[in-house]
Amino acid sequence: MVISPLRRKVLRDLRRLWAQALAIALVLAAGVATLILGNGAYASLSETRARYYGEFRFADVFADVTRAPLALMAEVRGIAGVLAAEGRIVKLALLDLPDMAEPGTILLVSLPEAGEAGLNQLYLRQGRLPDSQSADEVVVSEGFATAHRLRPGSSLAVVMNGQRRTLRLTGVVLSPEFIYALGPGELMPDPRRFGVAWLPRPGLEAAHDLEGAFSNLVLKLAPGADADRVIEAVDRLTAAYGGAGAIGRADQISHAFLDAELRQLSAMVKILPPVFLLVAAMLVNMTLSRLVTLEREQIGLLKAIGYSGRAIAQHYVEFVLAVAVVGIAIGFAAGAWLGAGLAGLYARFYAFPFLVFARDAGVYGLAALVTAGAAVAGALFAVRAVLTLPPAVAMSPPAPADYRSRMGFALQHLALRQTAVMTVRHLIRWPLRTASGIFGVAMAVAVLVASLWTFGSIERLIDLTFFQAERQDVTVAFAGAEPARAVQAVRQMPGVLLAEPYRSVAARISHRTLSRKVSITGRPAETTLSRVLSPDARPMALPDAGLVLSEALCDALAVRPGDLVTVEFLEGQRRTITLPVSGQSLGYVGLGAAMEISALNRAMHEGALISGVNLMLDKAQGPAFYAAAKAAPKTGFVIVLGRTVQRFRDTLAENITAMISVYVVLAAIIAVGVIYNFARIALSEQGRDLASLRVLGFTKAEVSGILFGELAVIVLLAQPLGWGIGHLIGLGMVTAFSSDLYRVPLVIGREVYAMASLVVCAAALASALAVRRRINRLDMIEVLKTRE
Amino acid sequence: MASKDETVFHATGLTKVYRSGAHEVQALRGVDFQARKSEFIVILGPSGSGKSTFLNIVGGLDRASGGEVWFRDHQLTALDDRGLTQYRRDHVGFVFQFYNLVPSLTARENVALVTEIARRPMSPDAALALVGLSDRRDHFPAQLSGGEQQRVAIARAIAKNPEVLLCDEPTGALDSATGIKVLEALAEVNRKVGATTLVITHNAAIRDIGDRVLRFADGRIVEETVNATKKRPAEVSW
Repeated sequence: MVISPLRRKVLRDLRRLWAQALAIALVLAAGVATLILGNGAYASLSETRARYYGEFRFADVFADVTRAPLALMAEVRGIAGVLAAEGRIVKLALLDLPDMAEPGTILLVSLPEAGEAGLNQLYLRQGRLPDSQSADEVVVSEGFATAHRLRPGSSLAVVMNGQRRTLRLTGVVLSPEFIYALGPGELMPDPRRFGVAWLPRPGLEAAHDLEGAFSNLVLKLAPGADADRVIEAVDRLTAAYGGAGAIGRADQISHAFLDAELRQLSAMVKILPPVFLLVAAMLVNMTLSRLVTLEREQIGLLKAIGYSGRAIAQHYVEFVLAVAVVGIAIGFAAGAWLGAGLAGLYARFYAFPFLVFARDAGVYGLAALVTAGAAVAGALFAVRAVLTLPPAVAMSPPAPADYRSRMGFALQHLALRQTAVMTVRHLIRWPLRTASGIFGVAMAVAVLVASLWTFGSIERLIDLTFFQAERQDVTVAFAGAEPARAVQAVRQMPGVLLAEPYRSVAARISHRTLSRKVSITGRPAETTLSRVLSPDARPMALPDAGLVLSEALCDALAVRPGDLVTVEFLEGQRRTITLPVSGQSLGYVGLGAAMEISALNRAMHEGALISGVNLMLDKAQGPAFYAAAKAAPKTGFVIVLGRTVQRFRDTLAENITAMISVYVVLAAIIAVGVIYNFARIALSEQGRDLASLRVLGFTKAEVSGILFGELAVIVLLAQPLGWGIGHLIGLGMVTAFSSDLYRVPLVIGREVYAMASLVVCAAALASALAVRRRINRLDMIEVLKTRE
Repeated sequence: MASKDETVFHATGLTKVYRSGAHEVQALRGVDFQARKSEFIVILGPSGSGKSTFLNIVGGLDRASGGEVWFRDHQLTALDDRGLTQYRRDHVGFVFQFYNLVPSLTARENVALVTEIARRPMSPDAALALVGLSDRRDHFPAQLSGGEQQRVAIARAIAKNPEVLLCDEPTGALDSATGIKVLEALAEVNRKVGATTLVITHNAAIRDIGDRVLRFADGRIVEETVNATKKRPAEVSW
């Protein structure tokens, strides 16, 4: 095979400029990798979920009722658009496990009887399903089984409606309903403290006095059915039976958390790859512009002997494409590797029976195409100027760099050393390149700021949520509303230092066309443990009347303090009333609505009722307290705050550390790519001047100092810009991440900016040192013998 | 102050071998040389005769393979890179064929570049006045003619009050009229500053302006002529 001379030149140029080419290839690779990672993870997660939902018939509408007769199911099935419906018994029970002092919670779900629709079907991991006639056989969710080393044949002690029962495991399962299994009052799935168990109906019926009745309804809709209308119809039918309001998939906890994850991934895909590809295009442009300048006479010659402008452009595009191919290959490998890592995280965090790996050729093809496109765009922009020159002009050397017009004499009044003047004038002489350099380094800083802030933000979230707002050690929630005197019984339990009651009522709050289903919490006006915080994070006293809504809920309903909202209670007498919004509160988890407890009870036309008690405990008496709480017949579930905080921190720390390591590497790649190429280009342009200075008696350090001065200016100017862009990206992320489930406070401390700058400066220093060897090797004799 | 007869350079048995792979090129084959203070020496010779290699070693830009060079009481052949840099900085002024001015600095700033690091410099303006360029001091190299650029280079070389002024083909890129102006500037500063001046040239016509003429061929000094009377540059026919 004969290789054409121009193609041979491409290969030789690549070998000669390998370090710069590699630096650019790595930035391109970072773009490709994040593109593949983001798109691939998004596709994996959404396809896995879709297939799981489809194959295991995940329901579309969910509703809780207090007690509805099974006969109602015929009417439910008659609602237009309903394909299948199932009335289940779903009840919380306390766990009484030997390996846990504090009582955990288990959600008991009745299995469909033979001949029923079978929505939210189980995926059997181990063992078999319980015998439908058995009273004590049970299957449990996999995460819970793993956390407690349960396997078929193990026994499980639970307290159901005040009665202690021992159940026998026949199998371990997964359910599309609990891909993300969040226990009541928890912020993170904790498979040790919360599990789900499925058992035949008779056992649950007996324990909860629900013979011939159901407490939970799941519906599958016909394709194209209007979920909102079905929900309305279900609400109408179940209102008389304590219906707490039906919800669609969007409000189903497990589904909603997966949605939030998907939204974060798509936000990442929108932010990161474009940053890398833009920086890479700038680098290609910078580097190729210099190459073209150096080869200007060769280009003129090629044109003179008959090569078309197109052929010459193609030559440079081939060079850039070769670099892009290397970058794309590295990016494919890194993207696939990171994708496998992320899939591993998903597998641990989300309970899927399988993961669909979206090795979609389309994702890879698109990544390759976009990347090559960015590189070629950068190249063409660089080459186009020379291609328009007539060959005779191109063959003669370019006019000497002209420093006349730009900021010539302003510098004279600054009493700078001449070497500093050189630095400044060179930077000003090439404003576009200088700006590109600053922007590139700024992007490295920004990527870091936009990832490092999450640590501080989560610390703030933890501090506000657990140390300012929810300061109780333990919350005991009753199975149902109890008279206010129930607090006395809890106060008598061992180790209780302080007990404050609360009331929690499901309600739909509406304002104009907007409405949200929330739970309104009633508390004494001033509390020590669970407190409502004002937007400036100070504890606020609850007003005598009216609601205090969290900022998230105010935003969701578009209300401000002073507005009136409609409150439809979904419990008790199900009254609908109008209440003023009397204040706004701070809160990052869920949608919060608070009222003074007696005002809430009055509004509901009920006596003094409470739903549970927040407690401060004497730690030494923890085990005794937990034993008493488990034994108390009214205990519905127990939340141990310390354990929640720990779990929250551990899980996030693990995920965020992994994520931040990736970001630090990516930012370093940008910083090194930009600084190294910038330095090489500056050296190529000023190598002759610097060698001349060495001849004049300047030391190696002084000569390096001139070039490093340029880099220092670029790096320094990039810092504030990077901080600003990073802040904006952070703001965008906060917006993209916030949902009704949680919000993230944007807290960017000085240490975040400092750390980002430190990492980038270290990367810059490393690149500068790599170029320093070349400065030290400048040939003084050669430079005297040749014209530039 | 040293007397006019004081020896500034003293070289014996100077050799230089360039190796590239298996190839060896003998650039200097044993050069003995002396120069006195304020002497103006013209060095002639064809390409490849070793004259530039010799100037580079004397100027501390290159190292000899054998033999010794002394500058006053410094043995240049024993200095390391740092020592040679210090030697160039403190004692040597260079003028090159292609001027090697810094394009981003004005004439005055190019001169100031050197005076800022020199031990006992004259003012940049005084140096420019010596070469007759006071009125062009705020021009950038791109705004100056070749001859003017070379005179700026000479001003830059002498502004540190060097003891040695080394010029490698200073008129090589210039037409004759301009070349004469540049040589006049060199002769003028040699007289006023008193620096020992070594000028390499292809141009045999220049020989008459020196105190002494050395002719290099094949790595050796093959002829040495002492001019009884120096001509002024304007008097030589080009």
